[in-house]
Amino acid sequence: MKAGKVLTFSSIFAFAVAVVFFIYLVNASKALSYLSTDPKACINCHVMNTQYATWQHSSHAQRASCVECHLPTDSTVNKYKAKARDGWNHSLAFTMDTYDQVLQISEDGANRVQANCISCHARLTEIIISNSDRYHDFSGTPSTERKCWECHRDVPHGKARSLSSTPNNLGVREQ
Amino acid sequence: MNKYKLLLGGSLVAIAAMGFMASSISGKQEERESINTSPVVKAEGVESKNEEWARYFPRQYDSWKQTKQSDTIEDMLEKKPQLVILWAGYGFAKDYNAPRGHFYAVQSNINSLRTGAPVGPATGPMPTACWTCKSPDVPRVMDEEGENEYFTGKWARLGDQIVNPIGCADCHDSKTANLAISRPYLKKGLEASGVNLDEITHQDMRSLVCAQCHSEYYFKPTEYKDAEGKDQVAKVVTFPWAEGLSAENMETYYDGYGFSDWTHKISKTPMLKAQHPGYEIYKTGIHAKRGVSCADCHMPYKQEGSVKYSDHHIGNPLDNIANTCLTCHRESEEEFKSLVKTKFERKEQLMELAMNSLGKAHLAAGKAWEAGATEDEMEPVLELIRSGQWLWDYSIASHGSFYHAPEETLRLLGVANDKAQEARLKLVAVLAKHDVFDYVAPDFSTKEKAQELAGVPLQKLIDEKVAFKSALLQEWNQTAVKEGRLNMEPRKGMSDNSSYSK
Repeated sequence: MKAGKVLTFSSIFAFAVAVVFFIYLVNASKALSYLSTDPKACINCHVMNTQYATWQHSSHAQRASCVECHLPTDSTVNKYKAKARDGWNHSLAFTMDTYDQVLQISEDGANRVQANCISCHARLTEIIISNSDRYHDFSGTPSTERKCWECHRDVPHGKARSLSSTPNNLGVREQ
Repeated sequence: MNKYKLLLGGSLVAIAAMGFMASSISGKQEERESINTSPVVKAEGVESKNEEWARYFPRQYDSWKQTKQSDTIEDMLEKKPQLVILWAGYGFAKDYNAPRGHFYAVQSNINSLRTGAPVGPATGPMPTACWTCKSPDVPRVMDEEGENEYFTGKWARLGDQIVNPIGCADCHDSKTANLAISRPYLKKGLEASGVNLDEITHQDMRSLVCAQCHSEYYFKPTEYKDAEGKDQVAKVVTFPWAEGLSAENMETYYDGYGFSDWTHKISKTPMLKAQHPGYEIYKTGIHAKRGVSCADCHMPYKQEGSVKYSDHHIGNPLDNIANTCLTCHRESEEEFKSLVKTKFERKEQLMELAMNSLGKAHLAAGKAWEAGATEDEMEPVLELIRSGQWLWDYSIASHGSFYHAPEETLRLLGVANDKAQEARLKLVAVLAKHDVFDYVAPDFSTKEKAQELAGVPLQKLIDEKVAFKSALLQEWNQTAVKEGRLNMEPRKGMSDNSSYSK
């Protein structure tokens, strides 16, 4: 009976420690900031400092935050599904150090951005689409399938996309 | 019972897993902090050796080092011999050259005949204040000794301390590398002129770091007690900005203070010497009014690959016209240069007129004293000469005033010439009273003739300087190297030009 009591107490104590530890972890990893739309959440770690700095100095900084281009905007469910998927992939890559120095957008990410370009610049793209049959087509693929940034190369992250484009960028000044 | 075992086991596994995660998070956090922190060149005090900064700022250092290319001596006394007459009895009549690159600041100061030929720490004509704009060792010594202490004693006292030429720590904080005012007298001058230091913006700083040296100043005798309680008098560099920054404002300031830099050797006028009021006159020009800073034109951004930084090869923006002037002015390079040339020629014409008039006024005043003129007769004349020469000096003593503020420069030269001519008119009457008619000023059209008139013993000064350079100067450098203040490496291949080395 005495041994049983020790077990009960120690298991409840261990559980309580685990709960407190969990709360600490949520706080230390700034986990809740990922539920917000604040662009600073994207540079909680340093990996995207360059992307943040180039966006911050672009004209898009006045209009669109990170998630407004990079997450689906058609429904909240799709948005959080994408957020969860990206969040899992990013935290895994960051924890295991498996990310590359030169970041490239995924196929899925590119499609999302393209959809958001079109949703904001709807009037403009409508004209492009309605005129698409008059474009020269050398590749055999319909020109409506090309991505906006194949031409608008420096929107919004600049032409040189590597760490060297922002050598003195030290993240957001916190002072 | 099994429930608790499960809970205990599960909790322990979770704690272990979360322990790994917590250690990963804190490791990553350290990584992030180190990436987000700018390099610290020196945590405490001032890093005066420019080479030490090169480790973290190699591009800026390399561009700074290119100021080494600007090593030609242009003897201004030879080019404009009137200067010798205007500055008779003052150091500038001995030796005065056009400016060279920042790299040569210390060498030019040492080679100039104005700083004389000391033989020990307490000899020579000049106070320590003459080092003030030459080196990042100055804020270091001020930091170590105290401001008044730095400004006490003879120039030669700090010969083995002030050894690195104008560089990084003159404009940048050694800890954060941010732009910083390293000279306390600029802060005092700004406050005296009504500037609230807390309202200074980064864009202001891109001019103010230059204004630390490219400004008008005088040496204000300041009494204080040193660490041992002994009475000392420091000669503190001070900006005369309390009445405002214009030539007339400063004149009011100096007149109110009864100040004169020296008494003119020929005309006996209590003179004012304007020291390059570059910042002040730039403030009256259109570029300053439009918020263009010194660095915008003199340190344009540069790109290497995709790395962008500001060019520390400071000099004439016309040498790099495509990246400076033409980024805003859409003329062709040729057309733009010809516009600037016109501005320069306009200034030259009025400047020559004013200098000739002032020179002749000094000589005629000297003649009047000789002929027996009284102080009462001479007083209004000397006042005009003092004021006229001050305005002339203020208008042209800084770099490129004809470009920074063309209208103000020409206005001042016009008024200066008028005052000089008025003095000469009065002198005709004074001379006539003492039976001197048809006085014609002697010829001062070459440096030799002018220095003869001004009584400058040039050869003696040169001989003494050469002796100083082979004796005391060598000791200074050896001590500085031994005590770790000077690295001779960057001086390799450095020329040693002076007005007398030809």
